[in-house]
Amino acid sequence: MGVIKKLPVYAERIPGGSIITTTLESILHHGQASSLWYLLFGTACCAIELMCTGAARYDFDRLGMIFRASPRQSDLIIAAGTITKKMAPRLRRLYDQMAEPRYVIAMGGCTIKGGPFYYDTYAVEKGIEHIVPVDVYVPGCPPRPESLLEGCLTLQKKIKQQKMSDWQN
Amino acid sequence: MTHDELRAYVADKFGDKLTLLDTGRAEPMYEVKLSDLHDVAESLRKDETLQFDYLCNLGGTDTGERLEVHYQLASIYKNNRIDFKVMLTDDKPSVPTVQDIWPAANWYEREMWELYGINVEGHNNLTRFLLPDDWDQGHPMRKDWDAPDFIRLPEFKG
Repeated sequence: MGVIKKLPVYAERIPGGSIITTTLESILHHGQASSLWYLLFGTACCAIELMCTGAARYDFDRLGMIFRASPRQSDLIIAAGTITKKMAPRLRRLYDQMAEPRYVIAMGGCTIKGGPFYYDTYAVEKGIEHIVPVDVYVPGCPPRPESLLEGCLTLQKKIKQQKMSDWQN
Repeated sequence: MTHDELRAYVADKFGDKLTLLDTGRAEPMYEVKLSDLHDVAESLRKDETLQFDYLCNLGGTDTGERLEVHYQLASIYKNNRIDFKVMLTDDKPSVPTVQDIWPAANWYEREMWELYGINVEGHNNLTRFLLPDDWDQGHPMRKDWDAPDFIRLPEFKG
């Protein structure tokens, strides 16, 4: 909440109080962190918790997070559920279709390391970090909505700590 | 028709083509020879008294010694169930298709073909079904299957 917190301070210093000055970096990252639109992407039971987090009781919209049905409009992909080897290229394709800056949250044990499907499986990808770069890991099987909200707040913190000078990378 | 009547009727009609297996269940389970498989399946479907018109399930088993293919049938009209299976000991296991009798067998046979490597003669579309299209690591439901990233569950010692 960088800009909002500083708003009275900035406003007081300026005669009339109708103009706000800030750095481009902080206003940009505030905007990015406060409107993380996430892709509708649920592949297993974690998606149920994701839906619950988006619904009225936990209300993702408080963080400015709204689901989008198209990767072109999304900033964030919450990989909710088991990613099989057949699904992995599709996940990569969706990630590639998203406009930068783009972020990934790995939700649940399956996306972190295969979860309950770690042993004796021929079909499940053991961790999605082989497919897409992950920003935040949210452990649990499945994680409760509180955990997911915590993960999203962590991602917001991470976005606000970015520097524009890092953009070349 | 009770289970006992069904057993008696099948024993009378098919004789030694269907061998009753002892499974401990009420529904009868039979073993059929590979050479008789298609004829027996067709008779079970077309017989006026049996009318097994519904193929509930078709799948493979790897017992470690041999491969088995099991067929689970039901009759909507007569409210009966019957199972039979065929044992495959050949190096190149192969069964005739039954999709001309029950069209539902098409997908089951594709799945069985790719997971167990049991060839299906006469199948019209033996292509990848559940595994990725570019899969090249063999038949994962075989007991002796292995892959570089395949991790077996360690034995628990209490």
